[in-house]
Amino acid sequence: MNVAIIGAGIAGLATAYFLAKEGAKVKVFEQKFLLHGASGRNSGGLTAQFNDEELIKLALRSEKLYEKLQSEIGFNFLLRRNGYLKLFNSEEELREVNLQRKFGLKVEVLQAEEVKEIFPDINVKVFRFASYYPKGGVVFPWAVIWGLAKGCRDLGVEIYDFKKAEVVVENGKVRGVNTGEFHEADVVVNSAGAWSKEINEKLGIKDDRTIIREEICVTESIKPYLDPYILHVSSGLFLSQSMRGEIVGGIVGKQNGGINSSLDFLIRYAKLATNLVPKLKSLAVLRQWVGVYDEGIDGKPVVGFSNVQGFYQLNGFGRKGMSIALACAEKAAEEILNA
Amino acid sequence: MRKVVCRCEDLSEEEIVHAIELGYDDIESLKRYTGATTGPCQGKGCLMHILRILSQKTGKSIDEIGITTQRPPVNPVPLYILASGEEK
Repeated sequence: MNVAIIGAGIAGLATAYFLAKEGAKVKVFEQKFLLHGASGRNSGGLTAQFNDEELIKLALRSEKLYEKLQSEIGFNFLLRRNGYLKLFNSEEELREVNLQRKFGLKVEVLQAEEVKEIFPDINVKVFRFASYYPKGGVVFPWAVIWGLAKGCRDLGVEIYDFKKAEVVVENGKVRGVNTGEFHEADVVVNSAGAWSKEINEKLGIKDDRTIIREEICVTESIKPYLDPYILHVSSGLFLSQSMRGEIVGGIVGKQNGGINSSLDFLIRYAKLATNLVPKLKSLAVLRQWVGVYDEGIDGKPVVGFSNVQGFYQLNGFGRKGMSIALACAEKAAEEILNA
Repeated sequence: MRKVVCRCEDLSEEEIVHAIELGYDDIESLKRYTGATTGPCQGKGCLMHILRILSQKTGKSIDEIGITTQRPPVNPVPLYILASGEEK
């Protein structure tokens, strides 16, 4: 079986890896360099604290796949499970914990004051409750992509960077992709993240996903200081410490923003971050950037064959890609092999 | 002798060459894999060295290679200064 995958992010590369392991001939096409899209621009937060059964299960499966892939491929994803803290300001926000526990998630509910035991320097006046998932954590997204790409190449997958691929369809069935050169394929996978919507629309496939823009920045590196990944739900502030020591943080994105980095973001972020963790205030911001991602309806990913025969959708991960995409890729590979 | 080309991330010329040989041979990928240009100097001290080495190794001209996306701020700015700014 010949498979062409559009987009060399976590979803596309993991699918390529799983397919190649079963003997499929796979080519992956990336329009820019690897890490250009959301897989190279996110903050690496890993959690299963979602408000939906399917998402929780995908995240739990992905946890296992991270361990499995790291050792199978022989590449360190720089993943540390030091917990994921979700901070809430109302009991209503906290209610998702009930569903999470129903599906076996070991998540602790904490009063604000108790969070100090996990991270002493947190300002407990900013929030009222927290849910803490000890198995959550932070991964270095770049290492995940390098590792998956290595795993793919070791299995004979051809990865083409700087190649924009157009889907070729004849009589309602995919024939392959065109990059200036034609590549025949039985199945074409649309795992192009924020760019997958325009690929669908070009083929006349209705696509209701929203495209969201999110800004992030990093500070200079400091020694290990902040263990958990922190998300403050009502303000959208998130921050964590990377394995390089930088404090990586941002504010959950909005639809239809511009594409340039803004000073307005830095000011807003600096106010929120230093309010939540006052000790951060003398740390200097080194660099800021913007990422774009696509979000499916109700925050659910789009995984499955479309009404164009042989054309598979693997997108709509929102800001949960690092947490759930591996499990989605595994499912995609299975369905493609059985098609 | 060790020729240091990026002082922030303590990278030698050899390490850059090694990364290029591994296939990280466009400027954006090379930057990410080695960490060059991502330290406190944000490339002001090292980008020219990286470009020279990449050009010599790949035979591409500096123009063909291009430069990395320049990201704000120009110099590191402490959070407390940013936090004193006015929100729009």
